[in-house]
Amino acid sequence: MISIHNLSKTFYAGRREIRAAQNVSFEVAPGEVFGLLGPNGAGKTTMMRMILGLLKPDQGYAEIAGHRSDRQPDEVKRQVGFVSAAAGVYQWLTGREMLGFFGEIYGLSESDVEVRVKELSSILDLADFIDQGCATLSTGQKQRLSLARALIHDPPVMILDEPTLGLDVIGSQVIFNYIDILREREKSIILCTHRLEQAQRVCNRFGLMHRGRKVLSGSLEDLQKQTGRSDLVEMFIDLIENSNVAPVQQV
Amino acid sequence: MSHNDPPNSYAQSKKSLRTRFRLSRLAQKELKETLRDRRTIVTLVLMPLLVYPTLSLIFKTFLLSNAALFSGGEAPNIRVVYSGNASKEEADFVFLRIGEGIKFMDDKAAEKEGALRQLDDPNGTEGSQSMGSGLRINGFQTEELSEGFPPWNRMIWQFISEDADPSLIDYVESGEADLGIIFELNDPTGKKFGDFTVVSRQDAFSLAAADHLAEQLEKANLADREFRLRMAGISTEPAVDVDRQLIGQTVEQTSSSAFPLASLVPLILVLMTITGAVYPAIDLTAGERERGTLETLMAAPIPRVGILVAKFIAVLTVAIFTALLNLIGMFVTIWVFQLDQQFGGGIFDFTVMVQIFLLLILFGAFFSALLLAVTSFAKSFKEAQVYLIPIIILSLGPGLMAMAPGMSLDGVNAVVPMVNILLLARDVINNEVILVPSFVAVISTLLYTYLAICLAARIFGSDSILYSGDGSLAEMFQRPMRANVVVPLMATLFCLVMLFPLNFLSIGFLGRMPAETTAELSLRYLMMGLFTFLAFMVLPALVARHQHTRLMSGFGLRRPRVVFLLAAVLLGISLWPLVMTMIDGWHVVYGFLFGSEKQDQWHAKLIETTSEQVARIRMVSPLVIVFAFSVIPAFCEEWFFRGMLLRSLLKWNSVWKSILISAMVFGSFHVLSNSVIALDRLLPSTLIGVMLGYLAYKSDSIWPGVILHSLNNGIVVFLAYYQPTLSSYAWFPGEEESIPRLWVVAGFVVAATGIILVRYSMRASALPENSSNATLTSGDVL
Repeated sequence: MISIHNLSKTFYAGRREIRAAQNVSFEVAPGEVFGLLGPNGAGKTTMMRMILGLLKPDQGYAEIAGHRSDRQPDEVKRQVGFVSAAAGVYQWLTGREMLGFFGEIYGLSESDVEVRVKELSSILDLADFIDQGCATLSTGQKQRLSLARALIHDPPVMILDEPTLGLDVIGSQVIFNYIDILREREKSIILCTHRLEQAQRVCNRFGLMHRGRKVLSGSLEDLQKQTGRSDLVEMFIDLIENSNVAPVQQV
Repeated sequence: MSHNDPPNSYAQSKKSLRTRFRLSRLAQKELKETLRDRRTIVTLVLMPLLVYPTLSLIFKTFLLSNAALFSGGEAPNIRVVYSGNASKEEADFVFLRIGEGIKFMDDKAAEKEGALRQLDDPNGTEGSQSMGSGLRINGFQTEELSEGFPPWNRMIWQFISEDADPSLIDYVESGEADLGIIFELNDPTGKKFGDFTVVSRQDAFSLAAADHLAEQLEKANLADREFRLRMAGISTEPAVDVDRQLIGQTVEQTSSSAFPLASLVPLILVLMTITGAVYPAIDLTAGERERGTLETLMAAPIPRVGILVAKFIAVLTVAIFTALLNLIGMFVTIWVFQLDQQFGGGIFDFTVMVQIFLLLILFGAFFSALLLAVTSFAKSFKEAQVYLIPIIILSLGPGLMAMAPGMSLDGVNAVVPMVNILLLARDVINNEVILVPSFVAVISTLLYTYLAICLAARIFGSDSILYSGDGSLAEMFQRPMRANVVVPLMATLFCLVMLFPLNFLSIGFLGRMPAETTAELSLRYLMMGLFTFLAFMVLPALVARHQHTRLMSGFGLRRPRVVFLLAAVLLGISLWPLVMTMIDGWHVVYGFLFGSEKQDQWHAKLIETTSEQVARIRMVSPLVIVFAFSVIPAFCEEWFFRGMLLRSLLKWNSVWKSILISAMVFGSFHVLSNSVIALDRLLPSTLIGVMLGYLAYKSDSIWPGVILHSLNNGIVVFLAYYQPTLSSYAWFPGEEESIPRLWVVAGFVVAATGIILVRYSMRASALPENSSNATLTSGDVL
């Protein structure tokens, strides 16, 4: 469903050269949750933007459902539900209005939108606040709404960039539970997160990025074999301590 | 979500997506978002509610203080200049007689007031007030009472002969006099003294003075009538209307109507419309980006342009609401405070209101697009505000310019953004719309709007902007690590922007240099060359060095093939008759657009300035002329326009787009640097710019262009230089004759040969070609 081929991107900030991605490749099949993990500044967000076609790669390409994101970005975007770390909600619209708006942008009819909103609102527990202005929502509510927004067109592919940022344990639990449901529905999912225990539970395969490079990849078993460590947290600490190059700057 | 959902059901309905997606839906959402924001509402509703009453209070005070000027007290005197069909003595005699009449009426009014006071106080002393003015009536006919000229109330008189320079109008316009009276005296024995035309400026003092004068003249009319009636032994009751035409007085204002309202109303409305659009423009671009919703929107399958156009519609809608509310607010204020009666002007006409509203929509569209282009560039709300403040302050410039008296909607004014709309609005209020320039103003504003939208669409959401660096000053001036083949576009733009102040600096500096003797003039021309050299050659070269760009590749200094040099010579010697014909053609077009009167004025001004310049040039040695007017400008301008600019552009744009842009910049620069011959040169210079650009592109070198440019410049300047000698030959056209048709044809044939040579010669290959995958990333730009 998703295949990434040698994606590379370098930023220039004055004299400095920031290699946000260097020849990163991986694939994600339907029903698979791919955990794209790494410390801050590893280049994860850049990867996601390139996959979506928001950022032009210097090299390589991403392909989703047979469409290359550098050539047919609109086709790609149609297949993808995207949740970013900064939960983008329109503060002057109500949740229902926002979902309706995005539903229409993704080409749903009004009745389809209504059905979809009903479904999502029961699964993600939006009913209490869906008619409230988004400005008044709590972080958890916003994030749930944001997830609903990304799912409004029932996309085969989900790209989740730190969907639990700023959420409490219960809040992130709701999200991770839902990711489980999505996997059962045969979606292909790329998940970026710093909640490693949760990731360990929910992801089928992993890609560990550091300084723009994919350092480790494979299933949890593969990683354990490669590193000799039992869990992701330990692998992470090894990764960071064994290198002294400056991390990728956030842009 | 039910499990029996067919997988991807929604995603698969993508075929119908494009048809289902509606721009209006997107715009609706933007609008909903903006209008629910109370900050929008504040600028939208509150501002007009507060601004107009405040403004009108200021106006009221202003008016009252002006009125006080003429109601006695220690008011300043009115300076009057007069001129007409008679000598000073004859005119003074007439004015003296009119003055007597005024005095008579004043006295009579004073007596009447005294009588009234006595009526109020019946026990008061009875004054003998039996028309003691009989004597004065006699005096009105004689010079008996003329104890010093002028006898009129608080006026200082100065005579100006009819053909004097500066003329009476000049005096009034320059403010040396407050009023002018142009008289046309009749035969002194006749009943009627003559006709008077009062000339006033558009400012409040002059207008009030004109009213005052009209009042005085009316008094004289009344006095005359009373006098005649008494002479005829008839009661002073105006039983019969005897010749009221003593002073056929018309108040004529030098241009259009009352100053403040007609010019000020559009400016205030335009500024308020801008204010309304600013907040939504920032909020919907930089604000949305700051809140993180922009990326979500960009992740949706809608074209970037669609999102931008939706935002444009939303901003424009708010601007239109603002304009409407302001128009209503202003209307109500004018009505409540009765400002229209004091200032005049046709604001109350419904069709005028509608027309003004339409103009505001047009301007709102232009400014909204401009705002979006700027705010799309900003990363945060704060940053956007920082960018907008200078823009709003800068827009006050054209605003104030349009308020200057004597500005009219023609020539360059018709195409200067904002100025043209403001002048057109003023003309609408004054009911003086002239069709063609108005049309030009509207079309040009539409064009600017389109360009601004294109620019905004290009900036909006481009990944170099969305995910660019920290925006620090250091980042801007840091040297890139990699060597560049051509100078990066940003650095080239920096040079281009710097040319503007440098140009003013050089004009100012050269203007202060003495230019009387040959030596002084020569020095001045050489300094001019030096400035050109510094601005066009040294600065770009330094910037290129800073950008790690080699001069050879960055400026196209390689040796060209001989065929291009040959073509350059052919074009260099043949373009000038074509250019001159084109300038003649432009004059005809100008006459067509703005009337033959304007055309003649323009032409006269042109001849005057060029002959002045030519006279100066002839004082200097031809060697200096070669350098100052041919070699140095040709080399330096090619160095910058075809070297740096064109080559930078070619890296990111298609060939013809790059050539056209560089040519337009080249053309407009010639207009800016030589404002007098301004528009005449725009088209020819731009076309020559296209020619030079094409030549530089094909030959991958600036040298053929340098040859073409210096030959062309040299021929033009030396034709003028040796005109007197040349004119003595029979075959050479005289000073003001146009060039013979045969020359034009010959020029055309030779130029065509040159163009064909260029066209069919192989292009030298090393010039950077636009590659399809080149994008403007932050690294490339800076």
